[in-house]
Amino acid sequence: MTTTPETPVLAIDNYSLDYDTASGVFHALRNIDLAVHRGEILGLVGESGSGKTSLAWSIMRYLPKNAREPGGRILLSGENLLEKTDAQIEAFRGRRISMVFQDPSTSLNPTLSLGTQLAEVLVRHRGLTRQQAWKEGEAMLDRVGLKTPAAMMNRMPHEASGGEKQRVVIASAFACNPECIIFDEPTTALDVITSCQILDLFVELQAETGVASLYISHDLALVSRTASRVAVIRRGEIVEQGAVRDIFARPQQDYTRELIAAVPDPAHRLVGDRVFETGKPLVRIENVSVHYGRRPFLAAITGRKAERVAGNNAISLSINPGEVLGVVGESGSGKSTLAKAMTGLNRFEGRIWFDGREIRNVGDMDNAYRKDVQIIFQHPDASLNPRQKISEILSRPLKLFGDASHLDQKVGDMLEQVRLPRTHAQRYPHQLSGGEKQRVAIARAFASKPKLVICDEITSALDVSVQASVVQLLLELQKTSGASYLFITHDLNLIRQIAHRIAVMYRGNLVEIAPAADIDSPDRAEYTRRLIEAVPRPAGQYL
Amino acid sequence: MSPNYVAKRLVMIVYTLFIVSLIVFAITQVLPADAAVMMLGENATQEALAALRENMGLNAPVWQQYASWLGHVLRGDLGTSLRTGQPVGPVMLEALGRSLLLAFLSIGLMLVLAIPLGIIAAVRRGKIADMIVSLISYAGVALPEFVTATVAVLVFADLMKWLPPTGYVPLTENFTSGIAHLVLPVCVISVILIAHVSRMVRSELVDVLHTDYIRAARLKGISRGTVLRRHALRNALLPTITIVALDVGYLLGGVIVVEEIFAIPGIGRQLIVAIQARDLPAIQAGVLIMAATYSIVNFIADILYAWLDKRIQYD
Repeated sequence: MTTTPETPVLAIDNYSLDYDTASGVFHALRNIDLAVHRGEILGLVGESGSGKTSLAWSIMRYLPKNAREPGGRILLSGENLLEKTDAQIEAFRGRRISMVFQDPSTSLNPTLSLGTQLAEVLVRHRGLTRQQAWKEGEAMLDRVGLKTPAAMMNRMPHEASGGEKQRVVIASAFACNPECIIFDEPTTALDVITSCQILDLFVELQAETGVASLYISHDLALVSRTASRVAVIRRGEIVEQGAVRDIFARPQQDYTRELIAAVPDPAHRLVGDRVFETGKPLVRIENVSVHYGRRPFLAAITGRKAERVAGNNAISLSINPGEVLGVVGESGSGKSTLAKAMTGLNRFEGRIWFDGREIRNVGDMDNAYRKDVQIIFQHPDASLNPRQKISEILSRPLKLFGDASHLDQKVGDMLEQVRLPRTHAQRYPHQLSGGEKQRVAIARAFASKPKLVICDEITSALDVSVQASVVQLLLELQKTSGASYLFITHDLNLIRQIAHRIAVMYRGNLVEIAPAADIDSPDRAEYTRRLIEAVPRPAGQYL
Repeated sequence: MSPNYVAKRLVMIVYTLFIVSLIVFAITQVLPADAAVMMLGENATQEALAALRENMGLNAPVWQQYASWLGHVLRGDLGTSLRTGQPVGPVMLEALGRSLLLAFLSIGLMLVLAIPLGIIAAVRRGKIADMIVSLISYAGVALPEFVTATVAVLVFADLMKWLPPTGYVPLTENFTSGIAHLVLPVCVISVILIAHVSRMVRSELVDVLHTDYIRAARLKGISRGTVLRRHALRNALLPTITIVALDVGYLLGGVIVVEEIFAIPGIGRQLIVAIQARDLPAIQAGVLIMAATYSIVNFIADILYAWLDKRIQYD
């Protein structure tokens, strides 16, 4: 088949994919029609389980054994990939079509140097010798904006930052000038500022090479920033596709509208701006520091001083009764360390005053303190015991902190409070969806009627639409219970919607605390401004 | 790998050996044996026994006896056998040499067979090849060495007359005969090790083959075989180092049975003789030498592991 400028580089034509499972056939993809042209970025947006990653595996011809393809074609510059032999596909991959993965820390082999992993593509597809490939690799690392390409080639993955690693992955995807690249959530595992830089790099390389790009993401805001066209996928079907402008301006489907509405928008505040009485905070933290690591053995016997890793550096802040204090910062900034210190999971130095009481160390955190200070974790899968029924999970805090009479009744009430059916009490965590599990974790935290609830990235593992409903629930619970929240997140748009004040952390230090409404003011600290600058603006605002 | 780590591990070995020496000494103290009686025989006079005890320092407080024993050990003197009157150190070390020969040949045979078997099982997971390897492994784990050893002697020595049933011939004396005598014991020990290690290689490799970086490598167009060799094996074989080092512990202890059956004068057999004869210095020396060997092998394994996997940063 001859290719003309009008022939799409990647065309998916009425393609369906099924999986044979123990409980029958699962339709992963149904009648997908998509086309990506040269120089174009097509955004594929969907929630987890929508089939967007399955589609990527179909295109790359990397399907599990139980996959069945009842119909359709996948054309790369007019050639049907479904008809190719394994050897032909192997020669295609990395040369004519390549992929950038979500998490650079798992998609790079931990025991091979970055250079080895980049050079092997060049050796495989461009017939270079190892030495030539190594030289070429250096040039490519330079092209993806790494400052010391020669040194970077020799580094092991654990010696590079997440952003640097993703640049290496991108360099190998672009290494053989492919016709098409699939980007599977390439910035999800990265920090806000880093992901902004990676996105800029992607846009730049894309424009330079004109590669047809399929950009897969759950984040509409992000996609609207890069893509020219968007396809919305739900339960294996494309519900809507069109130009970014049209999708945001005139969404045709309810689902698309829901998705757009669920994206946090800082302009749309969900809490009132309250002025808190100063001088009577619920919690006051004074110079709290946390250090990790022990003294190395040689240092200990030779008496040399060793540097400890600081998780928190003399943090001071206070939380008022009924206040939502947001804590933002990149991973490793010490957000969770602070939460752990406040719940007694980390040793700390410094003072914590809680409700008039002084807490000097973990030993001072007695039952009364633990009843008043509850924490909800990021992954409900890890924080709910998989072998306990929901009723057992929820009755534990009741037995510990309250009276243990009429447990069934109370557990049922708690479930209703978090909008779950009472019958869920008899289920196990794995029988619940991610959002439902997080609701159970919320119910458990509120069982002891706490005064402070620490939310540690509790919506990060959830889809946007689920996140929106969980956040709404949290705000309602706060209204009825009057509890204060320490809300830790990396999602600035979300925290600007729900927090009264926002604390910005960077490398273990507290940069500043500002009223949420003022966080984007130009008077803010330099780091805060950079952070705000890097956040993708909510859907539609790029138009 | 930091010098810190090496130093720490070395100090740990010394520490471990010190604890072992304490335990060994304590055990020999409570054993129902009197060194003086052992040396002079049942019919010795009370006076002669008392004189000898005084002479050997057996009347001194226990801690003094321990200190004096440890002092000698540190100077390389492991004591004198009560049974033969010869120094036990050289005898035990010579026996250790034979045991180590047996151990290294067994480990060598095991590595040559177990790793490919594990790889085949992992790559052809759920297929016939995998099931056959699993079956062999379970049989190897389930059958005790005295059963496999007896059957092996029965079949290959008594029935077929291919190999000598028992005994030991030094390789320097008659190489062919020496090897022939080693074949059966090495095979018997290897069977158990192969079972162990091939299962380990299989499960590690299955895990590694499901990682994102293997998928990423395949999607770069790298062929199956190259991905297996370059990306998967290195990571899958790392934990095997630890397992092999732990198996040396088994080899030193469990090999006693095999040495006994095949009448190989290794350290295990020497230890049995020493225990039967209540030869306290020999028991102490034997156990201490075994503990030291085990510690050193594990030290080497840890260093090797840290060297191969650069992520490991011990402090």
